[in-house]
Amino acid sequence: MRNSLLPLALALATTGVAAQEKTITIAGQGAKSGVVRSFGLNSEAALFAAADQINKSGGVTLADGSKAKLKVEYYDDRCNAEEGISVIRRIAGTDALIAVGPGCSNVAEPMFGILQKKAGDASDTGLQMPVFTDVAIKVGLAKISEWAFRNVPNEATMYGSVFGWLKTKYPDAKTIYGGVEEDFAHSRASWYAVMKEKASAEKYEVLGESKWLLADTNFSNQVREMKKANADVIAISAHPFTTCGVLKEMQRQGVKPKVLVGLTSSSSLETLQGCGAQAEGIIIPTSFAPVSKEGIAAAEATAKFNGSADLHSMAAWENMFILKQVIESQKISGDKAKVQEDRAKIREGLANLKTTNGLMGTVKRTDEREADKPYLFVHAKDNKWAVLHNPSGN
Amino acid sequence: MLDLLQSLCDGVMFGATYALIGIGFTLVFGVMHKINMAYAAASVGAAYLGLIVFALGKGVPALAVFGAAFVAGGVLGFLVYVLAFHFIPLAYPLATLMSTVGMLLLIDEVIVHVTAGMPQNYPSLYDKMFDAGGFTVRGDLLMIAAVSVVCMLALLALLFRTRLGLATRAVSQQPIAAQLCGIQVARVNATTFIITGLLGGIAGALIGASVGTLSPLLTTPLTVKGLIVTVIGGLGSIPGAIVAGFLVGGLENVVQYWRGVTERDMYVMLLLFLFLVFRPGGLFGGAKGRD
Repeated sequence: MRNSLLPLALALATTGVAAQEKTITIAGQGAKSGVVRSFGLNSEAALFAAADQINKSGGVTLADGSKAKLKVEYYDDRCNAEEGISVIRRIAGTDALIAVGPGCSNVAEPMFGILQKKAGDASDTGLQMPVFTDVAIKVGLAKISEWAFRNVPNEATMYGSVFGWLKTKYPDAKTIYGGVEEDFAHSRASWYAVMKEKASAEKYEVLGESKWLLADTNFSNQVREMKKANADVIAISAHPFTTCGVLKEMQRQGVKPKVLVGLTSSSSLETLQGCGAQAEGIIIPTSFAPVSKEGIAAAEATAKFNGSADLHSMAAWENMFILKQVIESQKISGDKAKVQEDRAKIREGLANLKTTNGLMGTVKRTDEREADKPYLFVHAKDNKWAVLHNPSGN
Repeated sequence: MLDLLQSLCDGVMFGATYALIGIGFTLVFGVMHKINMAYAAASVGAAYLGLIVFALGKGVPALAVFGAAFVAGGVLGFLVYVLAFHFIPLAYPLATLMSTVGMLLLIDEVIVHVTAGMPQNYPSLYDKMFDAGGFTVRGDLLMIAAVSVVCMLALLALLFRTRLGLATRAVSQQPIAAQLCGIQVARVNATTFIITGLLGGIAGALIGASVGTLSPLLTTPLTVKGLIVTVIGGLGSIPGAIVAGFLVGGLENVVQYWRGVTERDMYVMLLLFLFLVFRPGGLFGGAKGRD
């Protein structure tokens, strides 16, 4: 009896394996808990939405001509450097082809540091895991490792363009004053290394800067400094919670600059929800606004997965389509036993990209594995983000 | 000089928010000789729950948010008591400390999960600014200071003028003797948590209104500041919590004015250290601890 059942069981098992769909796992990584949970939720939703769309249209083609579906597994790093490193090590131990993330620059920087610096360097025992960042935006991080790639906008280019445009739009504005969230990697770098320099390059006189911390609640001193400086332009390099706190204090103290400029990450729903009225008029460059047919469709698809479309989450969406293209061009086997080989091929494929298709147009890739994305300027208007200016003129 | 005075005034006024949290910490300690680490988080949680009234429809007055936060604070206070104290052996000081730390993290994470960490606009009850020759005082902070004093007076009246207060003091001083006299210790403790919770609801809502925005980012700094204020004021002293709140608020703003934001918290910690070394009982505490 036992002997007669064995072939049947084997046959069933074989049929089951054959009937199983091939999958390529893409690991997402970001904060799904903690105060920047919304970043992770939105990226996760965009990854799932993009994978769903790709899978519905047949999935990805593997080296042997067979089709595979994309499977997304999302990991929570709490926007914490140690947890981020632990997460990427865990991902490297799975069959994930690549990791998309992380969401925070303070995670990305040390995390890229544990990756192999130069691909193929046998003396370097760093992690050989390709990472394709969607959110962490602090300037110049991908150069840390040849396994690190980013599809985030170039803030230096964007703010250079903002201040250049402001110069023509508000010729009377001569001075600028900064407000910076001193203990957050992105905000800090964006003021000191980007906004301040780009404003100076456009001949704005930098009158100084006020500093606060991410969890601060009282901004009276800082806003009084702003008021004293009486600058024509005030640039706030901070995330939504403190941006809102400062904007509300500015309203109380009657600080009304000619122009208010905000941080890229603040062009989100959080700012409108926290202080839509006070943010009215703030100008922010962004690499995403739902202005094209594709952009609107991506935003709608992401909303179905309970995510909101912004410059960060839509980079995650773009990453999935870029990965589909690279998986197919690099002849990825999809064989779980050869995952390291496939990871190396993906790395090489991403490194060779000169341009990619983005929701706002063609994205150029730099030799340092960064993106040069199209962008436009938005401003808060009637509790919504409205397009103010499109530098490309399209 | 005017800037320095203004900075001091702003800080002292803002210190009222620390005082409100400090009162909650100190009241629980005064009665149960336990630290409720979840107090600030529950207060912020109650403030969030207050916002639910806006879901009832447009035109809901801001005052309703504060009323709802007040009630929600009481409910949360009771829940914290049940979950973090009632079933925990009170003889082990670390047990309740850790259970309330757990509650702090739980409340924090619930807020984060429900709101996705998004800041929430909080209505202001009184947004007037008083201006005298360039010297300004925020009306809402003045109101918080006034509320702190009213709370203190109300709590003192409750403790020293009512039967509940008598029972509370009895439980605080000799829980076993109080029990032998027929006082239900668990009920008194639960009532204390509900009262501090109600106060926490008001505190959370007023803090939300003074910041203008609610965020889960508020819970940790408020917990730390609340504890500092409680220690400096004297564990168990309600007037001490208020004075220490003003002191800490004023000091941190003046230090920030002089030395910058990155050094600010260092000086507040230094003040705490000095108190712990030279006056561990705090401003209003006795020279010795309890026997």
